[in-house]
Amino acid sequence: MIWNNIKIALRNLRKNKLFATINIAGLALGLSIYIFGGLLVSYERTHDAFFDNSENIYTIGSVAAPDLNLGIDLMNAAYSAIGPIIETELPDVEAVARTITEEYLVTMGADSYYQMIRFADPDLLRIFSMQYIHGDNTALDDPSGIVISATAATKYFGTTDVLGEVVTLNNEFDYRIAAVIQDIPQNSHFNSMPVMDVVLDVIAPIKALVRMRDWDEAGGYNNLSMGNLTYVMLPSTLDGAWLQTQIDSIFERLVPDSAKETISSIFASPISHANLSIWDSLGLPIVTVVQLLSFLVLVVACVNYANLATAQALGRSREVGMRKTMGATQGQLLMQFLTESVLMASIAMIVAIAALEIIIPLFNNVANKVMTLDYMRTLPWLLVTTLLVGLCAGLYPAWLITRASPIDALRDLARKGKKGSRVRAVMIGAQFAISAFMLSIVAVVYMQNQKINESSYIFPRAEIYSLNRIGVDSIQDRLDTLRHELESLPNVDSVGWSSQVPYEQNHTTTNVTQIPGDEAGKFSIQLLRMSPEFLDTYGIPILAGRNLNRDVANDIYVDEETEVLNVLVNELTLTNLGIASPQDAINQRFFDLDEEDTLREMVIVGVVPTQNIVGLFNEEKPWMYLYRPDAFRIGSVRITGGNMLTTIEEIENVWDRVIPEYPMQGRFLDDVFDEIYNVFKFMNMTLAGFALVALSLALIGLFGLAAFMAAQRTKEIGVRKVMGASSMQIARLLVWQFSKPVAWALAIALPLAYLGSNIYLDFFAERIQSPIPILLAAGSIAVLLAWCTVAGHAVRIARSNPVLALRYE
Amino acid sequence: MLKLHDMFKVYRTDEVETVALNGVNLEIDQGDFVAVMGPSGCGKSTLLNIVGLLDNPSDGDYFFFDENVAKYSESQRSGIRKRNIGFIFQNFNLIEELNVAENIELALLYHKIPTAKRKQRVANVMDRMGIAHRAKHMPGQLSGGQQQRVAVARAVVGDQPLILADEPTGNLDSVHGQEVMELLRSLNAEGTTIVMVTHSPSHADYARRTVNLFDGHVVTDSLRAA
Ligand SMILES: Nc1ncnc2c1ncn2[C@@H]1O[C@H](COP(=O)(O)OP(=O)(O)OP(=O)(O)O)[C@@H](O)[C@H]1O
Ligand SMILES: [Mg+2]
Repeated sequence: MIWNNIKIALRNLRKNKLFATINIAGLALGLSIYIFGGLLVSYERTHDAFFDNSENIYTIGSVAAPDLNLGIDLMNAAYSAIGPIIETELPDVEAVARTITEEYLVTMGADSYYQMIRFADPDLLRIFSMQYIHGDNTALDDPSGIVISATAATKYFGTTDVLGEVVTLNNEFDYRIAAVIQDIPQNSHFNSMPVMDVVLDVIAPIKALVRMRDWDEAGGYNNLSMGNLTYVMLPSTLDGAWLQTQIDSIFERLVPDSAKETISSIFASPISHANLSIWDSLGLPIVTVVQLLSFLVLVVACVNYANLATAQALGRSREVGMRKTMGATQGQLLMQFLTESVLMASIAMIVAIAALEIIIPLFNNVANKVMTLDYMRTLPWLLVTTLLVGLCAGLYPAWLITRASPIDALRDLARKGKKGSRVRAVMIGAQFAISAFMLSIVAVVYMQNQKINESSYIFPRAEIYSLNRIGVDSIQDRLDTLRHELESLPNVDSVGWSSQVPYEQNHTTTNVTQIPGDEAGKFSIQLLRMSPEFLDTYGIPILAGRNLNRDVANDIYVDEETEVLNVLVNELTLTNLGIASPQDAINQRFFDLDEEDTLREMVIVGVVPTQNIVGLFNEEKPWMYLYRPDAFRIGSVRITGGNMLTTIEEIENVWDRVIPEYPMQGRFLDDVFDEIYNVFKFMNMTLAGFALVALSLALIGLFGLAAFMAAQRTKEIGVRKVMGASSMQIARLLVWQFSKPVAWALAIALPLAYLGSNIYLDFFAERIQSPIPILLAAGSIAVLLAWCTVAGHAVRIARSNPVLALRYE
Repeated sequence: MLKLHDMFKVYRTDEVETVALNGVNLEIDQGDFVAVMGPSGCGKSTLLNIVGLLDNPSDGDYFFFDENVAKYSESQRSGIRKRNIGFIFQNFNLIEELNVAENIELALLYHKIPTAKRKQRVANVMDRMGIAHRAKHMPGQLSGGQQQRVAVARAVVGDQPLILADEPTGNLDSVHGQEVMELLRSLNAEGTTIVMVTHSPSHADYARRTVNLFDGHVVTDSLRAA
């Protein structure tokens, strides 16, 4: 019976090649997207599984206090004091280790490179089971021991046999290689955190930080940087829920109130989730979104199939009628039609898998991942998917066509009924609703991203070349010389030093008040430590007062003892201080609340406009600009005119002359912006990809259906033409038939897209005016595409000779 | 009214070339009632399609009211057709999705006639054809004879001076066939020119003139004594 059904199905498939191709192509497209999405999601969710005990490893994250307004809610990091507290408070915990990632100039063998180093508590190697080529997991117990990966060893020494070799950090501090490990696979959070482009190559003991920059080994509550993770390993008898209760209580009892102003709680999350924590913190659940979208695409593909198959099955109602007359039951006929759709789904699945075998390696290459299509593991899932897709897609047409009584089927009544056509209209509508929904969201996301991009041009982004890693004492002594030499270059306009450059997501804040000690009137202000030239370099105008000046004693922050400090503030600060105009602000004072022993007094000597220095999704905030040389981390060189690359070469020559022992670490400010902006761009591209597929599916469906309907209506069209209808009128009729469901689809999709796009827009402080015109435009594009698809057919049919049309009957 | 001169129609398919009309000369005056007869495949429908401006001849001239329309484009032909010609088909060619009234209205839909007036004319013609009580029925719910009445109603509602009927009684029993012939005769009496293809000699008797086709030629052309 089944075999017989398959034979009939194959015959039918051969008979209707065009429809079979469209059907299979549509299903295959939907399936490949769905499977790809599924694989990607499972890939992202099973990171770090290759470590022994991976199910017992957790990271400790922090929830940002709501009034902090950082734009992010969840941070994957904890204050460095938390780890040691957990270790002493919870003896049941197997091991705790913190990591701090910092960049150092590393000299190994003959070469020096800037290298990201993970400074870690020794237990890191007991928590994560590394594959040792040399040495073992005690390597970090030695405060001068360093662990490097096989790749790093090969890069520096040309071999992995490097145990005991000397490694010098920042030209000053010597360490020895105590272990060489195999590279950690790409699907580990160590290597694949988005935004932070860091690979685990060098691990050093945290004691090295203590030695090099007086880092407090007991940890503190003043720095919370994304990526500085605290790991906890539990015995297998305890679970995450237990850990959560314990750390809740620790937070409650042992974390000081001052820290509670920045974070409202801490949380444990399994290591398998660590690679996704960046997305959580941005509030963009990308994995869930990908899962949902890929499922929606599959739904569109199934509806597409159902739609075409229905139209096609109706053409077979005479066949069904004959079979029924001969005694076939509805069940048997259902089986026949379902066999056919499952067969289609199977062929589509094979096509999809073949496509994925090509796509996945390409994707791995581009996205730097190691996804695989593991048939052993995924076979059950693939089989079930095929079966479900075949059944779901085939059920409606099969039911519709086999339900009619034999005589109705013979007289072809099913085709004439209004009911079937309504269901078809609903299905087209549903497809269009989904694709118009996606398309409009994509459009809104795109426009919002454009907006962010445009706003960033308040600073001369393209003209700034930044010099990183100038925070080392021995470099800071020579900054003045460096600046003078650089400014004497023909195309260098000006050089400013600062604690951060625009778009860097650093938030150094302090609480200030207008009246000394007034807790109630305090507000938080962001600090930018800069040299006076910074304003020039970035073209920031002074609205009132003057710039900071090297020669005025109170203009410079010397050390903690500095009691009176002249500062610049932005206009928004004035609002907070209740000062009406920039002119009125000059010589007004406010006070620092966060300093414990000394009460620092700030005097406003100048006012600058409110500009969003961290940019991107952040709100505009009060900013205070002060001159504090020991906080300079980065230089900004404004290059105007001339050839950018030649100028950079000249800059490097100057650098090498002034600071020969450190290589220059420069990059374009554009790249700083792009680093974060790319996250949003990536989001948009992912969405766009899905939308494109959904839309093309809908169009394929529409095309097929239009062809089918036109064929079905040949006679009617002939009659209409005989009655004098012009080609235009016929074409309009055919197009109009599809316009109603499409219009309905828009009526449903656009409001939903409005809600959806607001979720995205809410994330940004500075938003596009209103998404509505964009939504309408995107909707119109969807309709226009639908029309074009249908119109092509309609015009051809409408032009045909009426006699030919009538002869078909 | 219309005049065919040395008319040829050749169908070319992949292998064969069929000469459906082979030098037809024919003249039809206003008010005529012409029956076209001949064996199957002799070119009757082809002739009617060309006369009805549904198709172009391969060669020859066709004067429609002194206008040579032989080489007209579809859109030009469509214009003339709309104003001058009504059609009746053997298989009725009613649209199943539309009811009786809507089917008839179709013939006026593409003329610039206001809706109210259009409805009025449809109602009138349905009265005249005795199908007013079926106005809301779908074609599938009617008998063959009733369907053909609807088709006749559709052909005449536009008041075109020429009606072409290709085997209008082919699918009908003799009673219903006769009914349709009576309808045609009364239309002709009111001045409508009618050209009808038929296989039935008795139905051909309703016509005043009979043209016999054979192999694409006109073989006899006889007037019946009035
Ligand atoms: N579209 C076409 N393509 C090819 N040949 C055609 C076409 N239309 C008609 N013919 C051929 O032209 C010849 C005349 O056909 P036509 O339909 O005019 O015959 P007829 O006299 O109406 O026959 P019947 O009485 O069976 O309706 C036939 O041989 C037919 O096969
Ligand atoms: Mg014929």
